[in-house]
Amino acid sequence: MEELVIETHSLTKRYGPVLAVSELSLQVPQGGVFGLLGPNGSGKTTTMGMLLGLVQPTGGTFRLFGHEGTNPDALRRIGAVVETPAFYPYLSGQANLRYFQGISRGGSPKDVDRLLGLVGLSERAGSKFVTYSQGMKQRLGIAYALLGDPELVLLDEPTNGLDPAGMAEVRDLIRQLAATGHTVLLSSHLLHEVEQVCERVAILARGHLIAQGKVQDLLRRQGVVRLKTTDDEGATSVLSTLAWVDKVRAEGGYLVATAPPERAWELTKALAQQDVYVKEMVPVQVSLEEYFMEVTGGSMTGNRQEASR
Amino acid sequence: MINIANLLRWEWFKLQRRWIPWILLALLLLFSQISVWGSFFSYRSLESTGGEIPLPSEAGSEGPFGARSEGRIPTVAVNDLLAGDFSRLPPDMSPEVIAGLVAQAQQQATQQQAQLQRLYDDFAMPGSIPNALGTAQTFGLILLAILTASVIGTEYGLGTLRSVLVRGTGRWPYLAVKFLTLAVTAAVALLLVLGVTALSSLIATTLAGSPPGDWASPSWADAGVALGKACFSFIPYLALTGFMTVLVRSSAAGMAIGLGYYFAEQIVVQLFSNFFDWFSTVADYLLMQNISAWAGGFSFGAGGGGGPGTLHSFLVLAVYTVAFGIAAFWLFQRRDIAGASGG
Repeated sequence: MEELVIETHSLTKRYGPVLAVSELSLQVPQGGVFGLLGPNGSGKTTTMGMLLGLVQPTGGTFRLFGHEGTNPDALRRIGAVVETPAFYPYLSGQANLRYFQGISRGGSPKDVDRLLGLVGLSERAGSKFVTYSQGMKQRLGIAYALLGDPELVLLDEPTNGLDPAGMAEVRDLIRQLAATGHTVLLSSHLLHEVEQVCERVAILARGHLIAQGKVQDLLRRQGVVRLKTTDDEGATSVLSTLAWVDKVRAEGGYLVATAPPERAWELTKALAQQDVYVKEMVPVQVSLEEYFMEVTGGSMTGNRQEASR
Repeated sequence: MINIANLLRWEWFKLQRRWIPWILLALLLLFSQISVWGSFFSYRSLESTGGEIPLPSEAGSEGPFGARSEGRIPTVAVNDLLAGDFSRLPPDMSPEVIAGLVAQAQQQATQQQAQLQRLYDDFAMPGSIPNALGTAQTFGLILLAILTASVIGTEYGLGTLRSVLVRGTGRWPYLAVKFLTLAVTAAVALLLVLGVTALSSLIATTLAGSPPGDWASPSWADAGVALGKACFSFIPYLALTGFMTVLVRSSAAGMAIGLGYYFAEQIVVQLFSNFFDWFSTVADYLLMQNISAWAGGFSFGAGGGGGPGTLHSFLVLAVYTVAFGIAAFWLFQRRDIAGASGG
């Protein structure tokens, strides 16, 4: 059984009439990169805020490293950047990190210099934070999250403001963290970014958990098979009776069945048994973005109808 | 305890790298020395002239004292009159008027020694300490309100409160350290006022020469009491501004409320006390009135006489401190911490 570093049970946050997070039950296992996906306003940052003790839950419970709720000891095992990294503008990047390292009594002053080097800020370490570009601020935020070598790293949109090269560096860094036994909880709405680095994801929409699991499992489950048959009407009725076929629809002269592509052969068998024959068949592996659109029912703005799963 | 000590160290690390505490400290030292040097210059003036006597209205309409028409009342130095030097009097002044002025000068001269002693006390050690601390306490409250709102409020404005709390500092230790840092800073600032006052006194007494007549040095205990009172008088006001800043989560708004209250209470008390007799009883339980009474009536608009007694003031201020402190900690502990608000 996998050890869980984060476990939430019906975690809920309500701001007056607005339900920010609803009955969220999340399991983040130790090690690897776990993606928290969702459009803006889906509850990702609020969830992170609750885990970090910044936001008081309205209902539900959560456990960090097996212990109920947030406590200073648990927080010292976590590094996190929630929303935009916030630092003191009148201090240099180095002095900011020294301060945060000092108050949490994690690591040593040498770590500060090492981390500044890791995120490519050594040359500007002595410059005041107020003079930093957006990308530099983001890099300093990542260095801040890694202070004290935390077991769990929570990164909220870590590539915001970075150029493509910077984004690639951050992705490499995240992979490196996972490879060295850290657990990374990555919140993002950049689906290709998540797909590249996460082994597991949870998808939120309007505060509700839509799906969670290993990326490959989710995509496999959500795969589609496009086919042409001798009798599309008959094929539709046959496929609709199969429990593992989610949906069947006509699209561009094809029948599109939402079904695991590796079970395509079972489709042909079931159709043939009913005297419907396959003329053409293309198993299609969906991308995370397509899967996301499918389960959330639309765009990344969060204004759409919530998926029914 | 180790956590508090560690946080205190790092809070100071931040504070000393900001401009605002240094600017406020410079202002405090400047204001505190105004009273010391003001006393010194008054002393020098009184010593050299013996004081001034205004000329009767029929005199001085012409000649060297013809300034009356410009709104200035012409005067003559007491020492000149006593020395029989009437050269600066109008030439047409009658001998009877001059005799009257000389008599007035002789009468004033009998009080001159006491006045000189009082002024000397105000700039010579240790009497200069209560004098400087009185001024420092009055302006210090305003400066402390600015510093408190800035130190607590900017954490909300910059969003750094999130970054701090995520490091596992704990909420109440962090707020406690903020208050503690401000209280210690205020106490250190008063000690610096003390040091600068000692230096000023040394210079001023050297310049003034030997003390007047049978001058007797005031008690050092009074200086110690003044320091203790000034320190304690800051605490409830620190609690008020701290609570207000936590309540509104903004340095600008916290500052506005803190400073606004300072003046508003005194205006309200002055206004209402004139119309309603019963209001003076209410005023005895208001914050600024008690700070003023506790510190010896240094605040603007507050009279030195009357008002609450020392024990009464101490108890009322203690209640305010505890009430604002509990409210601030309660709010800070239970409310969600949002991102940067900018204020």
